Amino acid sequence: MEYRVPNSLASLSGTVHKSIMEYNGGAVVAMVGKNCVAIACDKRLGVQAMTISTEFPKTFQATPKTYIGLPGLATDVQTLSEKFRFKVNMYKLKEEREIEPRTLAHLVSSTLYERRFGPWFVEPVIAGLDKENRPFICSTDLIGCINFAKDFVVSGTTSNQLYGMCESLWEPDLEPEDLFETISQSLMNAVDRDCLSGWGAQVTIITPDQVITRTLKSRQD
Amino acid sequence: MSGLKPGEVNLGTSIMAVEFAHGVIIGADSRTTTGSYIANRVTDKLTEVHDTIYCCRSGSAADTQAVADIVHYYLQMYSVQNGKPTVPLAASLFQELCYQNKDNLSAGIIVGGWDKENGGSVWNVPLGGSLHRQPFAIGGSGSTYIYGYCDATYRDGMNQEECIEFVKNSLALAMSRDGSSGGVIRMAIITEKGVERIFVPGDKLPVHWEG
Repeated sequence: MEYRVPNSLASLSGTVHKSIMEYNGGAVVAMVGKNCVAIACDKRLGVQAMTISTEFPKTFQATPKTYIGLPGLATDVQTLSEKFRFKVNMYKLKEEREIEPRTLAHLVSSTLYERRFGPWFVEPVIAGLDKENRPFICSTDLIGCINFAKDFVVSGTTSNQLYGMCESLWEPDLEPEDLFETISQSLMNAVDRDCLSGWGAQVTIITPDQVITRTLKSRQD
Repeated sequence: MSGLKPGEVNLGTSIMAVEFAHGVIIGADSRTTTGSYIANRVTDKLTEVHDTIYCCRSGSAADTQAVADIVHYYLQMYSVQNGKPTVPLAASLFQELCYQNKDNLSAGIIVGGWDKENGGSVWNVPLGGSLHRQPFAIGGSGSTYIYGYCDATYRDGMNQEECIEFVKNSLALAMSRDGSSGGVIRMAIITEKGVERIFVPGDKLPVHWEG
């Protein structure tokens, strides 16, 4: 709900943000398919109600077959995407192999819990294929609690709407093309009910042979 | 001046009204929000208070609905007893309610309509309850993004088609930038002949630079 504090704390838009997770806005969702995974995000960057940019995707490649989605406070999205890029590179140099998705999940979890009492304001989503090309997805909260899911994970200001869309549209063993349709419709229709997300969408499908990223045209409001 | 109470819905909004030779064009977006959730994405913010007098509502949904209902009642009584009301009269009623109850209301209203004495006229009643007759008026949270565009684009003596394009383009720009505005554009053309409504769905909105 929206309320105004009756003194000069109100910002230019006339509202006080009651949650730092809702300052910039954003939505990320990941789904499991048949021998594939999909991860999708919106592209909005805002300052409360004002839209600053429509070119701010929130998914980042960790390894050739694993992606991380980072919705939340934009400055932490940028900082953590760079931190994880560093940590994944160091892992590869030391271990002489790519990091597995499940290991990356624990790396993300430890990085977040390190800041238990002054947390990073992001709630990451991880999606990828392990070395046997088995699908893997999970999400964590802002202090690193991992949610291992078999079907789908959602995060961001649109999470409630995404839960509704995914719960209705998802079914097991979707082929890559069908998974693309399902995750796209889930994201597009969920963000249309959220003021702080939208303005374009990016969908990445990860299969054993290739990774395809598509940009979706969507409502610009 | 109080704001929304917990649980209240907000008409974070873009509204606009433009006067032209034969009447007025009024327009609004269609988004109602509760926090960041879009409670209604097809809201009708253009509300009739008399046959050829409408208001555009922004601010608290409850407050503006209540105020518009009261003005509608007063104008009904007035028209039965005294004949057709004028637009400045309706605007005055809005002003009285918004000014005297300013501590308890969050309502930004634009009144637009046609009457025999004045032709078309636009009256802006912003938050404090002041009253301003203007050739065109913009309001709501989205209006802040289009002050420059409107000042640069508006000319005196535009005809009906030009006014419609002006309103459509201005609101589309506001809806794009303002998170609290969006959905569809609803417009109404108010002339001596009555009210003609125009509906512009989301996929037919004018498209400007989108980064």
